[in-house]
Amino acid sequence: MTPFLTAFFSGTAQGAIYALVSLGLVLVWRSAGVVNFAQMGQAMFTTYIASQLIQNNYSYWSAFLIALISGAALGALVDLGLMRPLTSRKNSQLLNSQSMRTTIPVIASLGILGVLKALAGIFWAGEERGFPSPVAPNAIKIGDTSLAITGFDLFVIGTVFLTLVLTTIFFTKTGMGLAMRASALNPEVTRLSGIKVGSVRTLGWAISGIASSLAGLLVTPRTNLSPNTLDLLLIIGFTAAVVGGLSSLAGSVLGGFILGYVISFVNVYSAPENVFIAILAFLLLALFLRPQGILGSKEVRSV
Amino acid sequence: MLAITNLVTQFASIKALDSISFQAKPGLITTVIGANGAGKSTLLRTISGLERPSSGSITWFDEELTHKSVEAIVRSGISQVPEGHAVISQLSVAENIELGGLFRKRIARGDLTIATKEVYELFPILFERRNEPAGSLSGGERQMLAISRALVSRPKLLLLDEPSLGLAPLIAAQIISIINELCRSTGLTVLLVEQNANTALAVADHGILLALGKVVADLPAKEMAADSSLRAAYLGY
Repeated sequence: MTPFLTAFFSGTAQGAIYALVSLGLVLVWRSAGVVNFAQMGQAMFTTYIASQLIQNNYSYWSAFLIALISGAALGALVDLGLMRPLTSRKNSQLLNSQSMRTTIPVIASLGILGVLKALAGIFWAGEERGFPSPVAPNAIKIGDTSLAITGFDLFVIGTVFLTLVLTTIFFTKTGMGLAMRASALNPEVTRLSGIKVGSVRTLGWAISGIASSLAGLLVTPRTNLSPNTLDLLLIIGFTAAVVGGLSSLAGSVLGGFILGYVISFVNVYSAPENVFIAILAFLLLALFLRPQGILGSKEVRSV
Repeated sequence: MLAITNLVTQFASIKALDSISFQAKPGLITTVIGANGAGKSTLLRTISGLERPSSGSITWFDEELTHKSVEAIVRSGISQVPEGHAVISQLSVAENIELGGLFRKRIARGDLTIATKEVYELFPILFERRNEPAGSLSGGERQMLAISRALVSRPKLLLLDEPSLGLAPLIAAQIISIINELCRSTGLTVLLVEQNANTALAVADHGILLALGKVVADLPAKEMAADSSLRAAYLGY
């Protein structure tokens, strides 16, 4: 197998996971205007839940499903229990300033991240543990030649592909998807159309919770699970979201795959220690050349 | 009947609406006119719940609207077409119209199809351009779209905020006359806010003249149009 194909296949599988993380970030950013630093903390927590269930002899698939449902619940809970009360206008004098109104939720998300890590420490002693994969991580063989892609890679790519198809159908073909797009673009006109923008926002948090929870389930068979293993994923996912254009869902997915290829090709053709420099260089390059992101649109101010 | 009683809306210490009272009769067009800054837009935004009044009340027949949420007010049959041809430009024309009826999808799917067909018959150009983004429409077409979005929710009371603003006179006249026909043929109650007093008074049944947040005249539209001293004092022509 040539190094090129090795890099390509591993880049696709990694990129698929980054795309999920990036999608989750952009969903919350667009519907609530918050950069959610707790996102991978939520994913870590739900993956621990799945791991605990598997230890208690539940099947992989029931644990998988329960982790996704807890991801949705946790996302909704963060919005209903914290973000909504924090940003409600009655709450505080501090919120009179626009900059505080946008900063407070971001700081709060960092707080949630800390709480979730602490809880993982309390419940699971913060131990690093393996997480199973439903398919064997062996290279796929055609005759005697083994391909540079494993069964697990195919599982990851297939799952993410299915998720993206379902997300696209949801956003373009359903009324709820239309309500979500409209709320993100113009909350006032959407409210004047009789749509409960607050509930739509909570739904955005829940869907983002599912996407990141799925990313946690798909990445931990390779990286193991500990309270801190998913931190790196947030950084890469955030870079992917910025590169793709923070406001575009399709751009965030594209950004995820591009980052996957960048990291994988640097790994194969250069050295693993150069990966971080490559990510940073790529981010800076993208910001210089297309500050609005690959698929982001320039903000137009009307006067 | 829409009844506004002693309504006060203030921003910090400035009273944009200073104890306003008037009524808009069902099935008729009531127009609210006045110079820039008279409080016309604030009045509509307070009725639709976007601004919170500090005192006074707003009722629609027996229904108290004063402290309801924007969504609840729309759901009780009161729909606002905001200022500036407010449509969502990144969504298609058809999606903008769909958005207006979305909250009724589960309760009245059949009627929603009929309502959509009706607005396309009212504005055939929107049907032709239904798959294009709303941002590509002309000002007049955007206003038609904003009105259509409100109409598919089958409102009983339509609040229009300066529908003729920024439009060529011919297009503005066309839109006002469509609103007039709609009111006469369907019994829709219309509250029309306009800076262009002549156009508005020509179609309206009743006129309310606002100046600096107060009602200074509350007259049948014909009488108000004929009163040259009012015009000279408050509208400057």
